[in-house]
Amino acid sequence: MVAVRPILSALLRNRTGAVLVAIQIAIALAVLVNAVYIVKQRVDRIGRPTGMDTNNILVVSSSGFTRDYDTVGAIRNDLEYIRGVRGVIAATAINSVPLSSAGSARTVSNHPSDNPSDGENGQYIEVDEQGIDALGLRLVAGRNFRAEEIQPPVDKSSTSRFESKIIVTKAIADSLYPGQNAVGKPVFDILKHPATIIGVVERMQAAWPDYTHIDSVFLLPRLPFSYYGAMYYIVRAQPGQRDAVARTLEEHLSASNPNRIIDWIRPLQSFKDRSYGTDKNMEYFLVTVTSVLVAISMLGIFGLATFNVSTRTKQIGTRRAIGARRGDILRYFMVENAMITSTGIAIGCALALGVGYYLSLQYKLPRLDLYYLVGGIPVLWTIGQLAVWQPARKASAVSPSVATRTV
Amino acid sequence: MTGYYMRLAFKSFRRNPGLTALMVGAIALGIAVCVMTMTVFHAMSGNPIWWKGDRLYAVTMDNWDPNDVYDHQHPALAPPMMTYKDSKFLAQSNIPERKVIMYKVNSIVTGGTAEKRPHHVISRATSADFFAMFDIPFEYGSGWVAAADEGPEPVIVISHKENQILFGGGNSVGRNILWNNTQFRIIGVLKEWSPQPKFYDLNNGPFDVPEDAYVPIGWGPSLQLLSAGSSNCWKPEPLDSFEEFMNSDCVWIEMWVELPDAKSRERFQNFMDGYWSDQHAAGRFPRARRNQLTPVGQWLIDQGVVENDNRVLVGLSFAFLAVCLINTVGLLLAKFLNGAAITGVRRALGASRRQVFHQHLVEVGVLASIGAVLGLILSAVGLGLVHALYASARFGEPGGFQELTHFDTASVIWAVILAIVATLVAGLYPAWRIGRLPPAVYLKSQ
Repeated sequence: MVAVRPILSALLRNRTGAVLVAIQIAIALAVLVNAVYIVKQRVDRIGRPTGMDTNNILVVSSSGFTRDYDTVGAIRNDLEYIRGVRGVIAATAINSVPLSSAGSARTVSNHPSDNPSDGENGQYIEVDEQGIDALGLRLVAGRNFRAEEIQPPVDKSSTSRFESKIIVTKAIADSLYPGQNAVGKPVFDILKHPATIIGVVERMQAAWPDYTHIDSVFLLPRLPFSYYGAMYYIVRAQPGQRDAVARTLEEHLSASNPNRIIDWIRPLQSFKDRSYGTDKNMEYFLVTVTSVLVAISMLGIFGLATFNVSTRTKQIGTRRAIGARRGDILRYFMVENAMITSTGIAIGCALALGVGYYLSLQYKLPRLDLYYLVGGIPVLWTIGQLAVWQPARKASAVSPSVATRTV
Repeated sequence: MTGYYMRLAFKSFRRNPGLTALMVGAIALGIAVCVMTMTVFHAMSGNPIWWKGDRLYAVTMDNWDPNDVYDHQHPALAPPMMTYKDSKFLAQSNIPERKVIMYKVNSIVTGGTAEKRPHHVISRATSADFFAMFDIPFEYGSGWVAAADEGPEPVIVISHKENQILFGGGNSVGRNILWNNTQFRIIGVLKEWSPQPKFYDLNNGPFDVPEDAYVPIGWGPSLQLLSAGSSNCWKPEPLDSFEEFMNSDCVWIEMWVELPDAKSRERFQNFMDGYWSDQHAAGRFPRARRNQLTPVGQWLIDQGVVENDNRVLVGLSFAFLAVCLINTVGLLLAKFLNGAAITGVRRALGASRRQVFHQHLVEVGVLASIGAVLGLILSAVGLGLVHALYASARFGEPGGFQELTHFDTASVIWAVILAIVATLVAGLYPAWRIGRLPPAVYLKSQ
């Protein structure tokens, strides 16, 4: 058994170094625990299921620019071509790019209401009969749109038109008709236009990461109106074919119609990456800085211990000469470190909770989960022990004969 | 004397190269991380038109849903944009020295001598005062006069970048281009101008870059151009024609006024309140009165330009720096005390406590300076990496956080400040401790 008292009294005699290490451990624990907690939340946020086959989808942006540009004709021709390209599973025209942080939302209600905030707010997506397949959505009830149900685009004189048949996500269905089968049930827009739910898809994530109704989307069976000049195609390729399909489309579409420009063809995933860019960056930064911080603390403990060992060589030699075994010397440094680290961890727990509480109060982050703190303690403790291991070994290797030599 | 101390410092570094490298590395990393976050934070929290901080006001009125607030996070604020009809009415007032109503529109531009292909250009339909009000510098030509707003006259101002694309950078004033299928005459070319944050329109990302073409506001209704920025509606009202949209309670116009003094500010506030009362009596503005004139600085705060993430990162980086410095204090202390014998000799030979303190502080200063220089290099590399990360996420298009990740003078200033802080924090205590050692003890043990 190691005698703790002599180590403690030696420590108290020479406090400063120990106090500094303890403070470092405390800060490292507070930062580590909170950083890991924040990173975990971001990973969860980015990992929320989109409901779409994000990896295999291409988005094409097309802008007609002549005065009497034939949108409907262009869409028909383009889709006919795209659907014939090898490796394409399905394609649809669409009014906005999913997951891109841009799009339009409307409120739908289960009864005609005078209160515009009564009901469920959702992003609305205009697609045709291949929309569900092109997006890779999973229909869980009812049916898909039929080709003959696809309506012409709205124009400036009919912007508020609603369609008589819609498909909703399960989130909307559950909100409007909890516990019931929503298929066949009516919904109303804020102008009290009615529609019937003909199908329910399991999930489709709305365009805005911070949107409170993240899974609230409804699909309307119509061609998109290029209000802002541009409209889009969603093209779903067979696994592994995405980039090859993109090259084929790029070549053909740019040349096929002189009255429009193909702005770009990009993978859907890239829009998701952009929408979640700040989360991703926060992850990178937190992970990097926290790892470096822990590494620096470790190096600091190691450096200090190495230094102490080298200045105490003579004392260690003397101890060895009067009977201490190698293991005793090794244990002395390990226990000393354990005592300092434990003190640091005790302070660090308070600090971590304080920081977590401050973050939750000030920045509305969720309160620190205690499991993270419990998990952080052995990590820091191990790091302290690892850092001091090599210097302690070196100390234990000091020969007793050192004591007999003069300096 | 300081020069001599510096020589001593380098001698001392050579005695423990590993330890010195560890200390310099720790200081460098600590400074690098802080410089990075502070550079971004500084760019983010800046007021790009501070010299007009007490003259420019964003104009907003709360026309929102009686049952629902516009922004749940900030219930005391009016929507950040105006309806077309309200902004149009308020812009008739002669009280402000300058006033502007505007919105972002999409356009396709054809023409020019260098680039013949039609291409997308993000444009802004705005009023004549826009350029003078925001002190926008011209490379060639000028803006338009107020009369051109109403006509509207087919005149256009293009950005430096767009002039490069269309005309290879030459003086293009007087040339014609096709803008959304209408012929426009170029009357002005801007110099490079990109205020960050983009205070006058924060609705589409606060770090967006300015538009590349500007046309008189009258072209909005005349060509029936919808907003390419955000437009928000709450009211159940049919919007089946452009006229209905213009008369709706949808908000999509940014409005700013320049009010030179408190008196004009008060007069304009009264004018707004009067308009509000008339409209309220007629059944509009169902919510409480929020006719707000917000100066730029407050506007940037209200609109939450600085994100919480960045505040957290600044806090984290200073915690990191603290650990690095505490680390250094510990190592320095051990090192100085180990060299106590030498110091003892110097003290015995007549060096005063102050001189010993001075000598050791110089040593730390040199250490911190090397650390700061290394840290500066590291932060430049780090910012470059972050920039590349953001740029690739935006497909190489400008705007977004990448605009904030430029290594600049602010970075250098922060590095200098932090080097001084590092010297003082890391060096004061060890230098003081070593200065107070009784020399005799150390001489004896020799």
